[in-house]
Amino acid sequence: MPVSNAQTHNSLWRDEGSTSMRALGYFIGAFAVALILGIGSAWYMIERGSMLTTTRIGPWTSWLSEGNPNADPYTRAHLARSGRLPLSSTAARYFAASTDSSGGRLSAACEYTIAGAPLNARWWSIALYDARGSIVPNPSNRYSFNSEEAIRRSDGSYEIHVSQKVRPGNWLPNGDDPDRNLTLLLRVYGPRETDVSGIGQIPAESLPKIELKRCE
Amino acid sequence: MRVRLPGLYIALAVVLAGLIHVIAVLTLPQLAPRNAHARLAPLGPANTIIQLPAVNAGQQVMPNMAPDVRYAACLFDLSEGPVRLRADIPDELWLIAFYTPIGENFYTVIGADMKRGNVDLIVTTKDQAVTDATGDSPEALENLVVVNSPVTNGIALIRAPLAGPSRAGEAERALKATYCGRPAAPAPVAVPPVGAAPAAPVPSGR
Repeated sequence: MPVSNAQTHNSLWRDEGSTSMRALGYFIGAFAVALILGIGSAWYMIERGSMLTTTRIGPWTSWLSEGNPNADPYTRAHLARSGRLPLSSTAARYFAASTDSSGGRLSAACEYTIAGAPLNARWWSIALYDARGSIVPNPSNRYSFNSEEAIRRSDGSYEIHVSQKVRPGNWLPNGDDPDRNLTLLLRVYGPRETDVSGIGQIPAESLPKIELKRCE
Repeated sequence: MRVRLPGLYIALAVVLAGLIHVIAVLTLPQLAPRNAHARLAPLGPANTIIQLPAVNAGQQVMPNMAPDVRYAACLFDLSEGPVRLRADIPDELWLIAFYTPIGENFYTVIGADMKRGNVDLIVTTKDQAVTDATGDSPEALENLVVVNSPVTNGIALIRAPLAGPSRAGEAERALKATYCGRPAAPAPVAVPPVGAAPAAPVPSGR
């Protein structure tokens, strides 16, 4: 602490000098703290989203006005950084999950069952990615299931198995690298239920559950 | 007096942090070096249809592209006049979306809404007259959809969602048949190159 340091010197001149030194130190300290807080909070709200910009329903996160030309500055920054070209919420809705329904990080070392209710939309698709948004390589070249190809029950509900080993039914292989973190992206094109401003509404209960089966 | 100083600096830090936060959030869209336009630009020239390669492990143009959608893009540049985009839409799942370079979706054509099965779009800036592109014939205007772009340089992205894996070839052929470019009507561009465009007769030997 600079305080104890200053007290070892008796002379007035030195005392004054150390006061202004301390002031400078505080100033630099304040600036450094401001830089960390300012950049850190901006990064967090742009990368992870906040109450202002995203909705969270179970494991699913959705940026409400992503792609909308009148979006708030956080969403704009998120979009520019992502390098993606999403459709605005009047044409499509996107939901991303990087955890299972009980909050555990999605990992290629584990097996999951995605259980979904029917979605009222023109087309939908569930695709599996790594943490950087790249598809997961696998010998059967299967990266997604969409409304046209997923095997569904007569009531429209479906199950998709995410695992390394072959599963009957809708099998989405999660690759052979157990260290890989996974992200699921549900895209819903042309949702048929909309609110007054034409934004597609996906009822919370129709978003699929992601159930952890086992880990290796 | 001395005791109050840290409090003052804490207040200073908080105010500064807020200021830095706001500046960072507002400037980031301009600073993001890998925005959608920057990712697409190396794939081809402006004002032509670029078919994006099917999503492949480890190499994709943009993150989180759909493996079961085929894409074609047109990076439009309106600095020399409007740009035309024509497509025969083979199925109602198709979407044609227009974007600013950072990815703001300012206009979308939904295949299911198109009754005729084809679209003829003209992209203009606010101060460009549509007749620049079509000549003056009113019948040419009739089927035309005018898209007012807020930006001179932007992106048109055509999505062809697949009804199944076997449909990929069909979708790719249909995307290849789409057209994006300067309208053909006002032809006399080639004769005297006003700018430094290396278009017209260049002395032989080069």
